[in-house]
Amino acid sequence: MGALLMSIIRVEGATKEYYLGKTVVPALRGVDLQVEKGEFLAIAGPSGSGKTTLLNLIGCIEKPSAGKVSIDGVDTAHLTSDELADLRATKIGFIFQNFNLLPVLTALENVEYPLSIRKIPAREKRRKARQLLEAVGLSRFLHHKPLELSGGQRQRVAIARAMVADPAMILADEPTANLDHTTGQEILNLMKQMNAERKTTFLFSTHDPKVMAIAQRVVPLSDGIVADPQR
Amino acid sequence: MTFTLALRNVFRHKTRSIITLSTVAFGCVALIFVGGFFEDTFYKMREGYIRSYAGHLQVFKQGFLEKGAAKPFDYLIDNPGEIITLIQGIEAVQYVTRRIEFAGLISTGENSTSCIGQGIEPKNERSVRQSDVEKQFQSRGDLSLLVGNVIETGDPLKEDEGFAVLLGRGLASSLGAQVGDGLILVSHTIGGSINAVDVSLKGTFYTSTKDFDDHFLRLPLAGAQKLLHTDSVQSLVILLKKTEDTARVKAELRHLFQEKGLALELRDWEEINDFYTKTRALFGRFFLILKLVVAIIAILGIFNTMNMAVLERTAEIGTLMALGTKQKGVAALFLMEGGILGALGGGIGIIAGIGITRLIASIGIPMPPPPGATMRWVSEPMIVPWTILFAFALSMAASLLSSFYPAYKASRLEIAQALRYAG
Repeated sequence: MGALLMSIIRVEGATKEYYLGKTVVPALRGVDLQVEKGEFLAIAGPSGSGKTTLLNLIGCIEKPSAGKVSIDGVDTAHLTSDELADLRATKIGFIFQNFNLLPVLTALENVEYPLSIRKIPAREKRRKARQLLEAVGLSRFLHHKPLELSGGQRQRVAIARAMVADPAMILADEPTANLDHTTGQEILNLMKQMNAERKTTFLFSTHDPKVMAIAQRVVPLSDGIVADPQR
Repeated sequence: MTFTLALRNVFRHKTRSIITLSTVAFGCVALIFVGGFFEDTFYKMREGYIRSYAGHLQVFKQGFLEKGAAKPFDYLIDNPGEIITLIQGIEAVQYVTRRIEFAGLISTGENSTSCIGQGIEPKNERSVRQSDVEKQFQSRGDLSLLVGNVIETGDPLKEDEGFAVLLGRGLASSLGAQVGDGLILVSHTIGGSINAVDVSLKGTFYTSTKDFDDHFLRLPLAGAQKLLHTDSVQSLVILLKKTEDTARVKAELRHLFQEKGLALELRDWEEINDFYTKTRALFGRFFLILKLVVAIIAILGIFNTMNMAVLERTAEIGTLMALGTKQKGVAALFLMEGGILGALGGGIGIIAGIGITRLIASIGIPMPPPPGATMRWVSEPMIVPWTILFAFALSMAASLLSSFYPAYKASRLEIAQALRYAG
């Protein structure tokens, strides 16, 4: 029971169905998953296996059709849209395959954004954002806009943005898919380093065996179910 | 941060934003200019009417307004001097003048025509020469020069010329009379008998009203009183220093007359001239239509921009919400962007509107005589503060209104779907 309480993520019997016209397309067909604090975990599987859907449920940006998702002990089923937004702002950091930086803001402002949502004072916001951008090796690019940065640099900004509010977990959906091999490896190393230094839980999806190799634990997903029943 | 984001988003697509801002700004310019043009037209029409004929207030004997048309000489004011002193005691009054009107016949000996005679006090009735009007058109000096009675040919009347007359130019033309001609003026006296006097044609005049110029002749009050066999007058015409004081002075006078037990009644220039009131109401409708057109153009322009923005930035909205921005935060962002477009467009519109209106006013727009009038004039569109405020308020309201639906739509996006939109 003690181990259960330590779980930062608990997914129990989660299913997710989408409707394409009148056709029901099952994306997840009963997934159980527990993730402990500080884990560096990969959800692996081919395209269409339900990786992104599972990350969406854990990230509270979609609700399961059935089953339960708890984040840091909070059952997300009955939370309102605003409560879910608060939960995302305080507990979850996101890294996207396409980086998803706000193009009109500089690297520094992009990293400050999650702190703005939490109404952190300007000076503190700036200090933390600078610190994070320095930690990801972008101290020379603070005032560059995303379009002035390379793909790897953009993903570093995204990592800094995901980390800046000290979330309990970071969810990364195929974070290296749009990067060349070397840059992808650097990004994974950076994530691993952040995980080791800050004890932040990392959960990322991938279909690349080389990326899986770096994970502490791999949860294989196939056709919307966890392939390894022990997970 | 939301404001910074909104401001930068507005200028993300410069061409599109410039077009949207131009649409809003152009609408404001149109409102400010047309509002100023109408106001100048109203002002000149009003002042022209007041200063050429009606005055701000007219005083009659009690009952004249109701029954005076049938029996004008039953309602004469017998002791005008005392009343004039009373009226002149009011600070806002510029002058008071006496008048008497009568229906008559004017004849050259060969041609005769009916007319309305007006006995006036020349020193108090404004008149200017045609040459001054021409100068005024060239130099565009003092407006008031344009709005008095214009002596087209001959000379203005003088106090001591009892039997000299000025004919309205339409009347002179129909009679075929020339300056210097001897004419015969015939009318009923107040006792009901017929009287005729020889008069000399001193000149012709025109006012801002064609109908007036076609029927009226003017002669010194003393001459008219001799013709009509009376020492009384029919009305006292009051000119104020400022038209805005009309209602206040009217109330004050009414109170004074009551206090002194004087059986007198008052009419203000608006009551005398409902043509002005009706014209103003008509133009008001035109202006309302213009306001609606401007509002619709601004709403459609901003709506298009905001709707496109929501469509193009779907993935970005998904990102904002994934990062923890609430629905109302997203809605606020888009409303703010709309508000910025409205404020900037309105601001630019006001500056451009004032500039363009001032420029055009400094050049002047030569205008033909209005319907029923004879006098051409120069329009100098005014800067009207309430029109400026209205234009700005309209652009803000239009921008917020047109952003409301896109903002709502953005805030209701499904985050996962929105994120997928990036492809």
